[in-house]
Amino acid sequence: MYQLNRFNTADGLQLQPIDIGHKDYIGVISADTAFWALLRKDQISQALNGSLLLRKYYRRLEVFGEEITALRTGLKPSAVYFNPTDRCNLNCSYCYIPKSLRKNGRHMSSRRLLEALKILKTYFRSSLPKGQKPQIVFHGAEPLLNKGAVFSAIDKFGQDFHFGIQTNGTLLDSQDVEFLKSRRISIGLSLDGHISSVADRLRRSWDGRGVSEKVIESINMLRGYDNYSVICTVTKENMASLIKMVEFLHRMEVPICMLNPVRCTLIGSRKHKPLDSGIARHYLQALDRSYQLYQKTGRKLVVANFANILIGIIAPLARRLMCDISPCGGGRCFFAVSSSGDMFPCSEFIGIKKFKGGNIFKDDIRNVLETAPFKSVKERRIENIEPCCRCAIRHFCGAPCPAEAHEMNGSIETRGAFCELYVDQVRYAFRLIADNKTGAYLWDGWDKDAFTTFKIR
Amino acid sequence: MEKKGRKVKKNVIAYRKKCKANGTGLAHYVLLDKK
Repeated sequence: MYQLNRFNTADGLQLQPIDIGHKDYIGVISADTAFWALLRKDQISQALNGSLLLRKYYRRLEVFGEEITALRTGLKPSAVYFNPTDRCNLNCSYCYIPKSLRKNGRHMSSRRLLEALKILKTYFRSSLPKGQKPQIVFHGAEPLLNKGAVFSAIDKFGQDFHFGIQTNGTLLDSQDVEFLKSRRISIGLSLDGHISSVADRLRRSWDGRGVSEKVIESINMLRGYDNYSVICTVTKENMASLIKMVEFLHRMEVPICMLNPVRCTLIGSRKHKPLDSGIARHYLQALDRSYQLYQKTGRKLVVANFANILIGIIAPLARRLMCDISPCGGGRCFFAVSSSGDMFPCSEFIGIKKFKGGNIFKDDIRNVLETAPFKSVKERRIENIEPCCRCAIRHFCGAPCPAEAHEMNGSIETRGAFCELYVDQVRYAFRLIADNKTGAYLWDGWDKDAFTTFKIR
Repeated sequence: MEKKGRKVKKNVIAYRKKCKANGTGLAHYVLLDKK
């Protein structure tokens, strides 16, 4: 063992200090292994001087490095984001699917959809370990415009896949809800505000009508179901209402939400992009509010995209969302299939033709995964991106998203939007760890399959 | 619910958990239920 007091020099342990904005603690991070510790500010010298912390970390250094390498390079696709139609009944101004597709695109026929799922079933049977069920998420555009095909696919392949559906929530009726609930389908809805004057600003039908009232009806129909979530896309139009949004979703007993900063992949979305400093302030206040509501009522509203960052710190392998790690999950944990069967690394790329890797009806999936468009995304490494390559939190953020970076900056080897927001979320997460509040922000049972590999506390 | 804070401030806080990696979510959708 080399001398532990040589940290940050030559081959010594790398520990970058970061200010987490806490009155008592400072953070130190070993970026390559995503190892971290919080040190009491008045005990920094003792904590780093040949201490138990460094000895224990040194013993785990290799294992932690292998863990992160496995997370970044060792996974196989086990999910497909499947667009059963190009079309949408809404014309949201920030959508990442091109307008012409959403308006004039086509449905996949029920026969073709079943054929595609049969191909995917065969593929996953050969690629995944026995007993691991892959996931199919019907996505869009609006998948329920092709409801008959989607529901017959769920019925026919219910034993073969875990199914999910991300819908704008405007086409759900009570029979649909019963169908989906009875099959434990994971459901995502979209709503951008607590009142129609906010929610309907950017999410409108083609003739300009707001749809939030109908979405709220759908949320009411799902009340009590634990397997659904609501996505709120955060723009400069609604960021000032995020606290109200959290209060509304909590009141509606929504179990999980995502407060997603708008993806700036298409030009139309960029005019709604808030400044990092603005969104971060409102976003963190909304997180504070979710904590207060939990303290007051004992019922959680989990903000899943933040929870994922927190989990990425506490248990890197347990993260559910694969945008916030480099390479991202596109093409390596999941891929996307369009209504014509075209395959892309992620649905975010569906509007960018050069990232098409092949077609599920014409090409072998294994070969598609190795095409240049897929490899470019699978091999996008944060070590090649400035300034992320020097950033202490690079494995808690991942410099998302390659599609966004490509369209905004002309190259996927650049960082995406909202860098400062990620930094502020990570600092917030560390403050929660310092104050022993993490459980209030995570869904129950998130760590039921996890075990502790390091502990000084 | 958790207590608002710990009474004694530890000199060092560091912990890590491990499980099998199988995340498949993306920003447009999160699949949490695996039942």
